Amino acid sequence: MTVERLADWLANSNPGFFIIAAALLVPFAKDVISRAILLVGGPVVALVALINAQGLSINLSTVKVLGLELVLYRPDSLSFVFGLAFIIASAIVGVYSLHRRDPLQDSTAMIYAGSAVTAVFVGDLISMFIAWELTAISSVFQVLAPRTRESGRAAMRYLFFQVASGLLVLTGVCMFVAATGKTQFALMAPSMAGLPVGVMDIAAPGAVFLLAGFGIKAAFPIVHNWMQDAYPNASETGTVVLSAFTTKLAVYALARYFAGLDALIWIGVIMTVFPVFFAVIENDLRKVLSYSVNNQVGFMVCGVGIGTQLAVNGAVAHAFADIMFKSLLFMSMGAVMLRTGTTKATELGGLHRTMPWTTLFCLIGAASISALPFFSGFVTKSMIMSASHADASLFMAWIMLLFASAGVLEHAGIKIPYFAFFSHDSGKRPQEAPFNMLLAMGMAAALCILIGVAPAWLYQFLPYQESAIAYLESELWTPAHLIQQFQLLVFATLAFMLLQWRKYYPAEQRGLIIDSEWLWRRGGPQLWGAIAKPAQLAGRVCAGWMVGAGEAFRVAGRQMFASDGWVATKVPASASAIWSLAILGLVLVVILFG
Amino acid sequence: MSAEPERPAEAPAGPGEPGEHPLSVLLFSWMRTPLFLRVFAIGLCIAGVGLILAEIFLSPYAIKDVTGVPGFQGVFGFVAFAFAVLCGWPLGKWLRRPEDYYDRRSGEAGRDR
Repeated sequence: MTVERLADWLANSNPGFFIIAAALLVPFAKDVISRAILLVGGPVVALVALINAQGLSINLSTVKVLGLELVLYRPDSLSFVFGLAFIIASAIVGVYSLHRRDPLQDSTAMIYAGSAVTAVFVGDLISMFIAWELTAISSVFQVLAPRTRESGRAAMRYLFFQVASGLLVLTGVCMFVAATGKTQFALMAPSMAGLPVGVMDIAAPGAVFLLAGFGIKAAFPIVHNWMQDAYPNASETGTVVLSAFTTKLAVYALARYFAGLDALIWIGVIMTVFPVFFAVIENDLRKVLSYSVNNQVGFMVCGVGIGTQLAVNGAVAHAFADIMFKSLLFMSMGAVMLRTGTTKATELGGLHRTMPWTTLFCLIGAASISALPFFSGFVTKSMIMSASHADASLFMAWIMLLFASAGVLEHAGIKIPYFAFFSHDSGKRPQEAPFNMLLAMGMAAALCILIGVAPAWLYQFLPYQESAIAYLESELWTPAHLIQQFQLLVFATLAFMLLQWRKYYPAEQRGLIIDSEWLWRRGGPQLWGAIAKPAQLAGRVCAGWMVGAGEAFRVAGRQMFASDGWVATKVPASASAIWSLAILGLVLVVILFG
Repeated sequence: MSAEPERPAEAPAGPGEPGEHPLSVLLFSWMRTPLFLRVFAIGLCIAGVGLILAEIFLSPYAIKDVTGVPGFQGVFGFVAFAFAVLCGWPLGKWLRRPEDYYDRRSGEAGRDR
């Protein structure tokens, strides 16, 4: 194969396939060098393939299966940003997991990453469903990885939600394809400014099922709790992997098919607000970060729902930034988990003395998620805020998003670093995180700062580049915008100090905070028990009657056929003769007239 | 007469504690000074007032609604943050359960694992 043909093959292949191929080789890597080459090399090859893609918004690779044309590779400016973020995240996760050898976890993590990349670059519903399911199945192994009883149970509950999501998507795909015959999103509907975004009408056959399937993966309210259940039960690396792909893949799917759907605005707003209250009282810092995922994905869902060019740009850019800073925060908590064996706030504190690099990286992640100017969250989330503020009918949504912005400072900006690394001294003096973990955190932290300081780097890749550049030049760095954001953060921090000083800040306490999972882990069984009780009572009564009737029948039979029963009693010969004649007569009548 | 063995001079107390990472001493030891919290709080207050004044003088926009009033975002941030935190008291009482809550058997629900 010549170099030109190899380059041509690279440029026309879905980048996710290279990561999956590397993942299949990982179990055979015996030493750390070969593992590193595979874990980082797979994403690097995928990145090279993506950068050299032979054009955007065209079908680069197709295959015919059962008469259907599957589009295996169709990059465009929407999928490019998600794919780029996923590839970078998979490389960072590869570096982060080098300190321990677990072939199954390493391999499935890469399959998970590769299938997420594949899912964003395919161009039809059927291929997307296959990649979607592959992410679900491979991600379960991240929850199973600690191989504890608790993680096993959490993995099964996680699998239930992922399979439910997959079944809903499959139902939606089947209904839509059967009714319209269309599988390729580029052919479904007129697109916005030349880009196929929001291509599906909610009234289309199967669209509601697709939305529900995407919604479970995006952790819509009520079905959000698979995340708080599974993430803290995964290994220190597994949580990082899980946080990067599943929910952001769902945001991509929502943007692709349902951008501009009004219902998503309010679903997103609720997603940003409710986790704030849970995160305040949660003791497990990895659970706090899981609530923070809900909160940030809420901003993206809201942006997708608003559906303007600025809002979609904001949602996509925020997904990119969120993958980096959320991975960074989860990595810092993973390092704490590895060194201390816990992420409970009640058992931590004062770790900055011996883990200063981890502390520093965590602070950078906290500044980014809090949207501190010159960090990544500020330059991405502000597009969604501006898009909601620009529409007078969305005033309440904007107010609630502003509330959520103050809330995220509380739980992810202050609570995570404060209770883990500062606060009261727990007396723990663990070793600093392994070098590979620090390197991975350093890479993510550098990206958080790079995006925050030089956002044009990211803005040039956004779906609506002109709109993004116009926002960058006219609004992002205006004094008013900067001052208002600093005001929000400074006064919120003052509130924190005042509440701490006056001891109004609720002390961290051991315990489990119940959430919507109570409905199916306790409430459902209790309700079922309550419904079943009258039925059980009726059943007992009926059973009593049946037993009584059976007993009477048994006694009667015994009386009839016992040696001294009615049948055996002596009757006079005349009576016997009369009975015999009567029976004979009856038989004759039956024979003659029957 | 043999001279008493010379005692090793005690190392001068540094800003950090024994065994502390040098980077921690460099980056964070100043936070442990007694006045840090007071100075930090005063600094934040000054910054807050300064930001409101800056908004008055630098913001060129006309006030159309309450959100355009100088200091709105600051006051909103303070109130929102305090509200979220103070809600933690009743919510904690309502929602907190023992850590093994779902592992306990209690009737039908106890079958859950």
